[in-house]
Amino acid sequence: MTIAVPARQRGSLVSPWLLILLGQIALTIGFFGLWEIAIRAQWLPVYLYGQPSGIAGKFVTLIADGSLIQSTLVTGFESLVGFVIGCFFGSVAGLALWLTPRLALVLRPFIVAINGLPKIALAPLIIVWFGIGIESKIAVAAIITFIVSLMTAFSGAQEVDQDLIRLMRSLGATQRQTFVKIVAPATMPWIISGLRLNVGFALIGAVVGEYIAAKQGLGYLVYYAGTLYDLNAVWVGLFALMLLALVLDYAVTLLERWLSW
Amino acid sequence: MGEAMAADGDVLIASGVGMVFNADSANPVRALGDISFGLRKSEVLAIVGPSGCGKTTLFNIIAGLITPSQGSVSVNGVQVAGAKGHVGYMLQKDMLLPWRSVLDNVTLGLEVRGVSRAESVEIAHRLITSYGLGGFENAKPATLSGGMRQRVAFMRTLAFDPDVILLDEPFSALDFQTRLLLQGEVQRIIRERGKSVILVTHDIGEAITMADRIVVMTNRPATVKCVHTIELSDSERDPVTIRTNPLYNQYFNQIWSELEIRREI
Ligand SMILES: Nc1ncnc2c1ncn2[C@@H]1O[C@H](COP(=O)(O)OP(=O)(O)OP(=O)(O)O)[C@@H](O)[C@H]1O
Ligand SMILES: [Mg+2]
Repeated sequence: MTIAVPARQRGSLVSPWLLILLGQIALTIGFFGLWEIAIRAQWLPVYLYGQPSGIAGKFVTLIADGSLIQSTLVTGFESLVGFVIGCFFGSVAGLALWLTPRLALVLRPFIVAINGLPKIALAPLIIVWFGIGIESKIAVAAIITFIVSLMTAFSGAQEVDQDLIRLMRSLGATQRQTFVKIVAPATMPWIISGLRLNVGFALIGAVVGEYIAAKQGLGYLVYYAGTLYDLNAVWVGLFALMLLALVLDYAVTLLERWLSW
Repeated sequence: MGEAMAADGDVLIASGVGMVFNADSANPVRALGDISFGLRKSEVLAIVGPSGCGKTTLFNIIAGLITPSQGSVSVNGVQVAGAKGHVGYMLQKDMLLPWRSVLDNVTLGLEVRGVSRAESVEIAHRLITSYGLGGFENAKPATLSGGMRQRVAFMRTLAFDPDVILLDEPFSALDFQTRLLLQGEVQRIIRERGKSVILVTHDIGEAITMADRIVVMTNRPATVKCVHTIELSDSERDPVTIRTNPLYNQYFNQIWSELEIRREI
């Protein structure tokens, strides 16, 4: 088997990857440079936008007092635990509905309705039920990701090629065998795409939970800094969230490699 | 012209099979009229018929995937009631599982029957090596050519050693050369193993090459229009040289004229 590699352009001295990387670095430096200049030249008010040099300073302070690490760990933990619980039970439930088509028919409108709801709107309710500790953030992340995974696994299982199912039946397979050997593996790409969506949803869940009521976490840090107009701290929190999202996304990529056929 | 009606000793007997889809709805679809025929032991019976006349529907009924509106099918003297793996059914598409290796695709039917892993691997191995795919046991279907995929699908059908095999346009997706190649191979394997086969095809040449008898179907709702016995010996059935045989052209023209090909183009 051969793997297609973008061929180096004939006559060009640098590889395309290097060019892309250079472009990305240039874009980053240009963006922050322009931002810094715009603040220093007073084209933009610093109290509304923050300032890259100030953000860097804030970053050092927040690292030094340990609060950034601690907040990141808290939010990371909430998202991760919520993600795992939600994705696991959601995918299992979505697949299981294939085995019980009658129940699936009964539940279908409800699932569609709940899925249509902007899921984050459930957050205040969940906070009321689970309190202001990290349990409630885990619950928000878990419930949102549960719904998404349920939906993707359920629709994936419905989409399995009917001819594959005909093939299994023609071999004399039981419903259970068809499920284990065909439906579950065939739905795997859908489940994985659900996981990918859910990285974002788990973070949203945890952070919005923290916005609503919390004493710790990145959401709390950002929200609290925002109320104080400490825009540099807000940016530090946002960049930390971005980083967290990248890490979780990478974890899903690893998981994907392991799960996919 | 041969005789369609079933005789004693036939491995498969279809008697008065008819199928109406959506019978209770405003526009029912009559797919099969009234079909009766018998499949003799170790015979290849080809079914040719216009597109959409109900050939796949007939196979689904024989395999027990759907219940006919009227009539019945019996295999080895037992009435078909539900899908029990009593026939090997190779669908129109190869339907290989992309997440399984060639070997594990071939063992699928054995697994379903609860054959032990060691035994199924051995059976699959033997098939794969004896039919020219040795070395590809661990390859994923996506890396195989169309002809190889079709071979794997055929091996999967052979693996659990069914007496009766249904082939639904098994070569229609292949290019001309590969198709001729596989016609020859599959024919050899079927004859070696003494399988009784029903082959659905649009390709009259393929039917003449492979079949002992050819059933020509009418337009939907399909009924048996006529049956031809192909009087060619095994040695005359090479997919390439058969085309120079005067009998081939004779059969071809005869069947072509019987098929109600609508001139819609
Ligand atoms: N489940 C179904 N419900 C309703 N109509 C159906 C169903 N399955 C098949 N049909 C109809 O029955 C007719 C026969 O279909 P079938 O697939 O058996 O034809 P075919 O001879 O195999 O066609 P082709 O040559 O294209 O493979 C078609 O008109 C098809 O639309
Ligand atoms: Mg068909």
